[in-house]
Amino acid sequence: MKDHESELKLQAFLDGELPDAEAREVASWLAKDREATGLLGELKNTRQALVGFDRGIRLPESREFYWSKIQRQIESVSAQPAPEVQVSWFAQLRRLLVPATALALVCLAGFVALKQGGASAGAETSLATPGAFTYRDFNSGTTLVWLPYPAEDQLATAY
Amino acid sequence: MIESHYSSAGDEALVRASQQGEMVAFEELVARHRDKIYARAYTIMRSEEEAIDLSQEAWVKGWQKLAQFHGESSFGTWMTRIVINLCLDQLRKQKRHRTESVEAIAEDSGGIERQMPVVIVNPTAGLERVELRQRIDQALGQLSYEHRTVLVLHEFDDLEYKEIARVMGCSIGTVMSRLFYARRRLAALLVDLKKDSK
Amino acid sequence: MRRRIITAGSLVWLPVLVCFLTLECATWAAEIKVEAQLLWGTNDRKSPNPKHKPVGEETRKKLKELPLKWTNYFEETRKDFKVTEGESTRVTLSERCEIEVKNLGNNKVEVNHFGKGEKVVKQTQALPKGETLVLGGNAPNETAWLVIVKRIE
Repeated sequence: MKDHESELKLQAFLDGELPDAEAREVASWLAKDREATGLLGELKNTRQALVGFDRGIRLPESREFYWSKIQRQIESVSAQPAPEVQVSWFAQLRRLLVPATALALVCLAGFVALKQGGASAGAETSLATPGAFTYRDFNSGTTLVWLPYPAEDQLATAY
Repeated sequence: MIESHYSSAGDEALVRASQQGEMVAFEELVARHRDKIYARAYTIMRSEEEAIDLSQEAWVKGWQKLAQFHGESSFGTWMTRIVINLCLDQLRKQKRHRTESVEAIAEDSGGIERQMPVVIVNPTAGLERVELRQRIDQALGQLSYEHRTVLVLHEFDDLEYKEIARVMGCSIGTVMSRLFYARRRLAALLVDLKKDSK
Repeated sequence: MRRRIITAGSLVWLPVLVCFLTLECATWAAEIKVEAQLLWGTNDRKSPNPKHKPVGEETRKKLKELPLKWTNYFEETRKDFKVTEGESTRVTLSERCEIEVKNLGNNKVEVNHFGKGEKVVKQTQALPKGETLVLGGNAPNETAWLVIVKRIE
């Protein structure tokens, strides 16, 4: 197996989420790679095992009992007047603090990233790390490349 | 009898009648789709009690929002989206009150599933339907809610990656990673359950 | 004679004109005009930075079609620039964000994105007129940064 990105591509192939050209690439890769074929087989089996599973789940209550509670709630909700919206001083303060904090965190993020150097963002090959993915919207002619930058662990710990 | 009249009507007619305030018509819709809505809540929440409460709440919400339903999807699909959103809101609330396990964090960052050996033999082959259901139920219960939900939305609701990302409020890459992990972990759990039963 | 509009003298200039136009066309074909924007995605109604302005309708619609969870997008910078075939143009979108676009010819470009001066990504793809490339990543507090590269000419 090549890398995690290839594994995800293999899965997207199984789910029919790849554009034709990429699906052909994966098909020819599968023809040559036994490990990939094995993984595809496992993913297929798991998918197959789940078919129809939820259709066997039944509500463990009678129709009448189940409905009576819904009906009561509908009637009580319909009888209640619309609640008056009151904004507390805390909510107002929070409204100010949240964007201010976000801005501060962005600045801090930049500062920390500068201090740490470009470990996660050095070379082009760093893109091959799991997490970077490409999405194509054919209708609007847009390609989206989503990057693991800044790295999740840096986001979690540095801010 | 009004009820028997509604029991032979199609969903569209029942929705129209419900939109006019006919609660009997709405009751018929509940009766038709209650198992599906409950099943979705149950597969996500893994608790009968919570699934019943949330599915009932979904029906109440459905009634309140009926005016917004214009038939873009089937009524069942529309209701399923409502119950999924309620379940996800509930889980997010619960998550705020519990600390995440190390495993859950590791799962999200990806990587663990890469060390799992590929399951070559189908662990569910030859199983009776009831036994298969039990094993899958057990295995699903051992997944974190994020992984289980992605799997449920993809396998049972046939949602595309893009739609799951929207529903769950995460990136498409996260959806792909979670789905991959969930499938691999499920395969491994099914193997373990098979060994245990021997 | 009224019909002799083209004189022998003017014919001398014709090849010069043809050569000039050919060269000009070649130059035009070899040069592309690109627009780059730095945006922030958020679910808040206002950007944390009051200087940011909401994105235009066209960009908003494009972003809405992508599997992104944010409801609002705000523009920090927008720059238009030209890139000649075989050459690169590097533009600064913010203190921490730069992009370099190389015109590879045949409508293909190589886009390098730099964060804090370090290369983050190299994306090579066709970028005909109207095509858009969106680079992005998570930012703190459930927000996102986005760089939009669009070929405008």
